[in-house]
Amino acid sequence: MSYKVKIQTFEGPFDLLVYLIENAEMSIYDIRISEITNQYLEYIRHMEEHDVTVATEFMVLAATLIEIKSKMILPRVSETGDAIIEEDPRTALVERILEYKRFKKAADIFAMQEERGQRIFEKPQEDISQYLENPDEYLSLDLKQFAGAFNLFIQKKQKVEAVRKHYTKIERERETMESRIRMILNKVRTKIGEIFSFRELVKNKEDRYDVVVTFMSLLEMAKERVISVNQKSLYGDIEVSAGERVDEDTVLEKYQDKEVQEA
Amino acid sequence: MNSKKTIKSAFESMMFTWGEPLEAKMAADVFNISKQDAYDYFKELQAEYEQEGRGIVIREVNGAFQFVTREENADYIERLCTPVKAKRLSQSALEVLAIVAYKQPVTKGEIEAIRGIKCDRVMEGLMNKNLVEAVGRSEAIGRPILYGTTDTFLKNFGFTSIKDLPEIDDIESAINVDVDAEEEKDPVAEGQMTIEF
Repeated sequence: MSYKVKIQTFEGPFDLLVYLIENAEMSIYDIRISEITNQYLEYIRHMEEHDVTVATEFMVLAATLIEIKSKMILPRVSETGDAIIEEDPRTALVERILEYKRFKKAADIFAMQEERGQRIFEKPQEDISQYLENPDEYLSLDLKQFAGAFNLFIQKKQKVEAVRKHYTKIERERETMESRIRMILNKVRTKIGEIFSFRELVKNKEDRYDVVVTFMSLLEMAKERVISVNQKSLYGDIEVSAGERVDEDTVLEKYQDKEVQEA
Repeated sequence: MNSKKTIKSAFESMMFTWGEPLEAKMAADVFNISKQDAYDYFKELQAEYEQEGRGIVIREVNGAFQFVTREENADYIERLCTPVKAKRLSQSALEVLAIVAYKQPVTKGEIEAIRGIKCDRVMEGLMNKNLVEAVGRSEAIGRPILYGTTDTFLKNFGFTSIKDLPEIDDIESAINVDVDAEEEKDPVAEGQMTIEF
């Protein structure tokens, strides 16, 4: 039978000790020190194995346990054979455990109370300065309240600043269809008769938006017969060349209007 | 001289306007009556709201009074809207808070002695949540800061005052009873344990 300690987090050395004692169903007033010390040390070893840094606090209690254990082993009689009436070496520990358990119990009660408290709602104090004759009344806060208000203000400011530091709002300059149409138009007009590939009209082929804007612009321009488009095969490149109304600016004007309206 | 009825009626209006717990002293000053009288009137009002089972009840926080919703109605409020719930405290925070509540005024050192572990960070969290505050300095060496709980603590945990905290000293007797029942532990298991190590 190997002894297994499940690694679970404890709030501190006493939390662990109380757990071990309760788990072993031992009386607090008659702790089997040797057994508990072993389990306690085992747990610490376990933590180390799992690369959990063992807090020095755990070590302090370990040392205490070992000290008590060794005292328990020592014969409680003097050299002459008289029994020495000595205090049980565990007494101090028992007292500390009891004290800790008291507060652990209180913590449980508090947890319940907190849950109940969350079921009760209050109205925060509203701004009642309008009811007050002297609007400066709020400055008559006592020092603590004033410091509190100031701290709150600073905290808020710090929070906002912290957020600002990490996040900058960047708005990408999005190309409009109007500007894309103008760009394509300029290109086509400079070299009338030449065939352009759709691919070369797209500025940034990685950007889906860019592709879509270019494609929409082409459709719009083709509709207005400013350009003519031709696709020889399925999924093939789209060839763009000047259309019969290439010199008219109607498509641009139309688009300007549309964009103004939308805005 | 104002009648008791008038005063109580006025107190209700004042609590409504004030929102935050209204100190009996402040209310007393309005009518130039004694603080104790004001306190008694508040308690009477509180009992009336309680008896009638109103959806609004009067909560006492450290000698101050405030209108709050009835606990039993929480589910209906939540159906109506989703109130933001404050995060619950961690186990260690609750333990530290309990120590502060029962032993106040208390130093960090005393808290650490009980739990056997440092509590700086937990205390900082409790102070930020305004549940715990510095209340003075101890005369001991180094004049360490003494801590106590705040009215926010009383409110959030539903205690009317520090005196209202439940008794925990009788926990010892409770443990004693448990122990007697579990005393009969077989020594065989113990033996096996020792072999193991």
